[in-house]
Amino acid sequence: MTQQRFIFPRWTNLVLPFMLVAGSTAPLYVAIVVAYGFSPQSTDVGYMPEQPIPFSHKLHAGELGVDCRYCHNTVESTQHAALPPTQTCMNCHSQIHPTSDKLKPLFESYETGMPIEWVRVHDLPQYAYFNHSAHVTRGVSCVECHGRVDTMEVVYQHETLSMGWCLNCHRNPDPHVRNPDLVTQLEWGIDMSDAEKIANSISWREINNLNPSQDCSTCHR
Amino acid sequence: MGQLVKQIIDDLAKPFLEDLKELPLWIKWTVIVITCAATIPLALIFRARTSFSDKPRIHFIQNMDNQPKYVSQEANALFLDGRAMRPRVEGTIPRNGMVNDTHLYMGVVDDAWATEYPSALTVDHAFLVRGQGRFNIYCSPCHGVGGFGDGLVHHRANQLVETGVNGTTWVAPKNLHEDVIKEQQVGELFNTITNGVRTMSAYASQITTQDRWAIVAYIKALQLSQDADPASVANADAIPRKSANEGSSE
Repeated sequence: MTQQRFIFPRWTNLVLPFMLVAGSTAPLYVAIVVAYGFSPQSTDVGYMPEQPIPFSHKLHAGELGVDCRYCHNTVESTQHAALPPTQTCMNCHSQIHPTSDKLKPLFESYETGMPIEWVRVHDLPQYAYFNHSAHVTRGVSCVECHGRVDTMEVVYQHETLSMGWCLNCHRNPDPHVRNPDLVTQLEWGIDMSDAEKIANSISWREINNLNPSQDCSTCHR
Repeated sequence: MGQLVKQIIDDLAKPFLEDLKELPLWIKWTVIVITCAATIPLALIFRARTSFSDKPRIHFIQNMDNQPKYVSQEANALFLDGRAMRPRVEGTIPRNGMVNDTHLYMGVVDDAWATEYPSALTVDHAFLVRGQGRFNIYCSPCHGVGGFGDGLVHHRANQLVETGVNGTTWVAPKNLHEDVIKEQQVGELFNTITNGVRTMSAYASQITTQDRWAIVAYIKALQLSQDADPASVANADAIPRKSANEGSSE
């Protein structure tokens, strides 16, 4: 029995260059997928759940110019910007569209006293404390976190609501504050240049003496 | 120069291509398939970042995002109505909820509409400004910013009545500058905001007691502003007036 030598086939010459190429691109690939794929910009922004009633903020807050606080009336005094009770809708809809099919859940709720099961769009982690009134009464407009809701047919999450995003503003609030009387004017500043806006912002920051805290315990209490 | 390039190609690329020719087919396909599959996550990420989704958000690392507790307006299956926040039990009064002053809470003094503001409130410029803000939020959708009963909701409702959509009916909101309204005492105005009147709903749950009085004060100021005597305005001469030409063009 003659002993045969094993001779590596010619293509094994390719193993080393292949390892070099794959070894250098794979970590890069993983880094890209994790950085972009796991970021809240991918997982959270653009969340647009279907609501039990196709309520249009574009019509009510945009075209009809109803102030945000007409419905979310607790926003200036409490942590939570409350969804309105059915009664608030009925202020108008007892007369307007009283036989609409789309509004059936509203009228059912009004008759039975059961709540309308709206789906929460903006949901912070429960270890993060956020107070609406603290921001709104100091001139942080609704639009800074919620986007142009007055142009949204269906409301969606516009910002990441991540910790880094909160800190961006807490570290540099200058481009984000305005006259507290104008917080619900979502289109405010559309005709101003960035420089004008920042100058205005800085003046209101000084008037209200805003020095947002960056302590851990401010939000994680 | 061209010679050198050719030399490099001959020395490096040609043996490489020769090697490649002998590569077993299964390895070739494995590499091709893996490379193609690697683009799928990238495509999904691109889609996630550029489109809307009604699917619940994906949180890879939950940490303590959702804790076994109930937050404002959350659902709780334990109760028949599904509300985690419990409605007030009938017959109970919340702290600070004591209604012990008919003037402040009902606008009534000695069984008649109050003619003065409750003593607990200071009616000053800041109070009027507060009233203006609240009026613009809660009243102007129907009554209009000027109180003439020409708010945007009124216009919209009229459109719907004309086209006859979904059985819409509409009673025009009152012009607050009519004599009937002007003659009303502050207490009666307060009562109207608090409890509603005819087709107007009660606003007691949306607007605090103090703010309702502030709105009353602002409505009085608004009425006065539309029917003011120049003599009653300090420095009236200093205020620019419309010239005769401008007046005639109207």
